[in-house]
Amino acid sequence: MNGPVIHDANTLPVDDNVNPYAFSVDLDGQWFLQKGKMIAYYGRIEFHGIGHGYLDALIRTSFHSPMHAADWVVAEGRGKMLLADRSFDVNSYDLEDGNLTVRSGNLLAFQPSLSLKQSIIPGFLTLIGTGKFVAASNGPVVFAEPPIRVAPQALVGWADCPSPCHHYDHQYLRGVLGGVRAWTGFGGTSGEEHQFEFVGAGTVLLQSTEQLMEEIPTGETPEQDGVPHASPHNQPSMPRMPGQLGDLQRRFGL
Amino acid sequence: MVAYEGEMSFKKMTGGGDGLRGMVTRRLTGEQMAVMEVKGRGTCYFADRASEINLVTLRGETLYVESSNLLCTDGGLRTGTTFTGLRGASQGNGLFTTTVEGTGQAAIMSDGSAIVLRVAPDMPLQVDPGAYIAHTGRLKQHFQSGVNFRTFIGEGSGEAFQIRFEGDGLVYVQPSERNTIGGDL
Repeated sequence: MNGPVIHDANTLPVDDNVNPYAFSVDLDGQWFLQKGKMIAYYGRIEFHGIGHGYLDALIRTSFHSPMHAADWVVAEGRGKMLLADRSFDVNSYDLEDGNLTVRSGNLLAFQPSLSLKQSIIPGFLTLIGTGKFVAASNGPVVFAEPPIRVAPQALVGWADCPSPCHHYDHQYLRGVLGGVRAWTGFGGTSGEEHQFEFVGAGTVLLQSTEQLMEEIPTGETPEQDGVPHASPHNQPSMPRMPGQLGDLQRRFGL
Repeated sequence: MVAYEGEMSFKKMTGGGDGLRGMVTRRLTGEQMAVMEVKGRGTCYFADRASEINLVTLRGETLYVESSNLLCTDGGLRTGTTFTGLRGASQGNGLFTTTVEGTGQAAIMSDGSAIVLRVAPDMPLQVDPGAYIAHTGRLKQHFQSGVNFRTFIGEGSGEAFQIRFEGDGLVYVQPSERNTIGGDL
């Protein structure tokens, strides 16, 4: 009978998956990790919060936002390091002078040659440059090409394409009846009336379940006119009425 | 047990199946296990909450495993408890762990398929306490901590505690972290 595969520092894969749930990094220098995702390592590796002494400079070169840097850790040294996240599927991706936007909770680790920025879209982070990064997903990731509409919960990220927009099935949401349906669920809502729509050239990354991973804070954006927020300050505070009723609020300028 | 084919009889083994002394030890150390013995002929299926199952073949060595990760063992294997030191405390699993000794097979559970890592004298291994599930061989464990004043002002690295294994043996880790006391530091 064959036993399980036994790994050691020399046989662990170099920057590749050990199994669908764990990724091995051949570290020589620095990598950035989300807090608490390292499960084991060989060699001499130190872990420091960003902002630790001389690592402070990394905020300027790689993080660009002092606000969410506290959720990241710098692994520094030489050795093999295993990363995993609650037994979700993990995958590595190579960016070549590209950009990729990913849901904040899904990004596990990345090479310092990439730089991490907050996306304009709340809850998402954008990686820019050349290098490797590791992201987790619930179930294997599926790559799709636009034009495509995806369920919001299944979206992991997108590369090289323009930002998505919202898409609604208007047949279903329109008018008083549609409003009542959307509001109460009576008359049958499919739960799929709202999608994200991608157009243009690029790649869209989807996960095969609609279970979301917990978000990590991406940091506050400056309170400024024209800057979108997760909890919008620039939107009317009054809730929209069911069925829109001809958008009474808007007509009365509320 | 989820199903069986053939003729089986099941018997509850009071107190973890190590006899009276074992029972008292388990009570004292908090490593209680509800154990049953199955005898008979046929195929018996074991499972627990869809967790991954890893078979460990023992040839006279000792397997150290958290009692919550042990699914079943050959009847010929002896189980017991042992002191683990600070590692257990950091995992929130108590200061003691379960040992399985003898010749035969044991099944251990993990959240996601377990990864087996070899430790050699010139190749020590550091493991996150939350990802550790079991080990075999002659290993020395140290508790390694990177806690410093930054941890207390909320700038910790999230990887403040590790178990360092030295010696000769195998360590089983799972691709997931239990919630540990040190987990957030």
